[in-house]
This record gives sequence, C-alpha cells and structure tokens, in this order.
Amino acid sequence: MGDDRTIVAFCCRECAYAAADASANARTPLPPTVRLVLMPCTGRVSPLHLLSALAEGADGVMVAGCLLGQCHYREGNFNAVDRVAFVQRLLKSVGVEPDRCRMFTMSAGEPPKFVAAVHEMDRVISGMPPLPRSGDGESRAPRHGAGAASGAAPAEELLGAARGAA
Amino acid sequence: MPLTHRGREILSRVPGGSLQSTVGVGCEIVRHEELCVGCGTCAKNCPSGASERGDFFDVNQLLDAPDGSRRGELGAALRRLMQHEPDGPVEVPERVTVYRTIIYEDDKCLGCGTCARGCPADAIEARPPKADVAPAQPSAGVSAPSPQGVSA
Repeated sequence: MGDDRTIVAFCCRECAYAAADASANARTPLPPTVRLVLMPCTGRVSPLHLLSALAEGADGVMVAGCLLGQCHYREGNFNAVDRVAFVQRLLKSVGVEPDRCRMFTMSAGEPPKFVAAVHEMDRVISGMPPLPRSGDGESRAPRHGAGAASGAAPAEELLGAARGAA
Repeated sequence: MPLTHRGREILSRVPGGSLQSTVGVGCEIVRHEELCVGCGTCAKNCPSGASERGDFFDVNQLLDAPDGSRRGELGAALRRLMQHEPDGPVEVPERVTVYRTIIYEDDKCLGCGTCARGCPADAIEARPPKADVAPAQPSAGVSAPSPQGVSA
C-alpha cells in the first residue's frame, strides 16, 4: 500500500497485546500502518485518547480487548465498548466517518483474530479518503471566546514530542 | 431524588405551583453550562427532581468548554476533526457517565440551592431570593421593643 496511513491500536495487556505478541512470535506480518499502544485494560481507554489520536494525525483508531465477559478486570471491556460507541456517535455528528474508531475483542490464545482485526481495520481505513483536519495551530481557542486560550493542550504536547523524536 | 411527601405538600399549597414564582422564597438558580462536567451530583441530590441526568449529550458542551478543562481538551480535538457543525445531540451509551447533559426544569425547582452547594465545578450559582416585600410599618402607639438585658 502506497500511502502512509496510521492506525493506532489501544491493546489491553492481558488478551490483545498477548495475542499480538504471539502473532509476532509466529512471524505473522502485520500492515506497517498499525502502531500498538499498551493499556493495562481497555477500560483505561478514554474518549480523550481516541479523539486526540485522530486529531493528532491517526487515520484510524482501534481498541483491542478481551472477549466480552472475559475481561481480566471484570468489566473494563464493557466500559470500552460504550466509550467507543460514544466516540463513534460524536464523530458521526460532526461529519467524520464513525468507522474510523472501532473495537475488537479476542482471546490471548487467538493471535489470528488479532491479525484479522488489524487487517480489517487497515482495509476499511484505506478505503476512506484522507481526513481533512483544521489547520495546525490555528483556532485552538473555544469558538465563542469562552475562556482564554492557554496554549497547546497537554495531550498534543506529549504526542507532538513523540512524533518529533520519531 | 424524587420529591418527598413534605415537599409535595409544600408545593401543592404554594400559589403558582412553584416556589420560584413566590417572592422571597427559594434561590434563583443559574446554571453555567460551559463549566458543567456532567458528574450528576446535582441530579443525585436534588430533592424535587428538577435536575436530572439526561440520556443525551449536547456536543456543543465539548466545543465551547473552557480551555484547560477535560471537556476543553476533547473539544479541541473535536474542533480539529469536525467537518461541519454538530447535527444534533448524541445519545449516550449506558456506561458513559460524565458526558451527559443535565436537564434542569425550572417548574419543579424548589430553590433550595443543594445543587449549587454540591457542584464540584462551581457551575451552578444560587442567588439569594430578592426581598420584594416592603418592610412592615410600625403601627401607632406600638414601638418595636429594644433588646434589654439579653443574655448571650
């Protein structure tokens, strides 16, 4: 694939990351677009993580966690499902394709399921036009002037530093 | 919280059916939506059910949130992504708790100010009731007693 699309995958340490690790040990190739972010549990993922990733340049963001009912921390993945649904509805209401943010579940013993999830996300994102984002640095202030703009949001500074170092 | 029996009794005896319409009783409640974080403390503590957690979320509360707040960070990210103005409120899934618009009904409000007292974000202001009633005139021959020998 020619373009350098980026997919950020928030993976839970117990199942998804273990599945990813197993697939890497089996030398299963993954598309180069995917970047893994390790989370203790998908319940740790917040709508802020998902929206910030998309705002800062990711073309797609996926959350990979344990099978529903098998979360190692009891109900974290149920929370993640609801948060991903919420972000999808937010995106849809402002005109962004809701499928840019999706959740997948798998077991640690199912590395092919992780690989299939990544390939599916890659396929869907490649079929979408690039996401136009509002200009860099411009209009960071709230729209109606409520509160003074105090500079870059902390999330952007962290991700900006990481990208600058890459 | 649902209205208590005593609360319902009070409301039924007040002309106009709402304490807000009665002069001198009940604070005037002013909600600052841009500061609201959606925690639901006001809804949980409201004795009359005037404040309730809604099932929908107004996306503008993210876009207009003050910079530096949690909602402001989401709003900043959403502003970068948005292709057009939000086309309506978003229905919130069950387990998402802090992104909900609080519904406030003025008719049911008792003006007790519990919401303002409990709000962690200082998003509710309870202004003291205005005393529009004229002070009582002393009638002829009777003077107001002055405090004498009042012990502390």
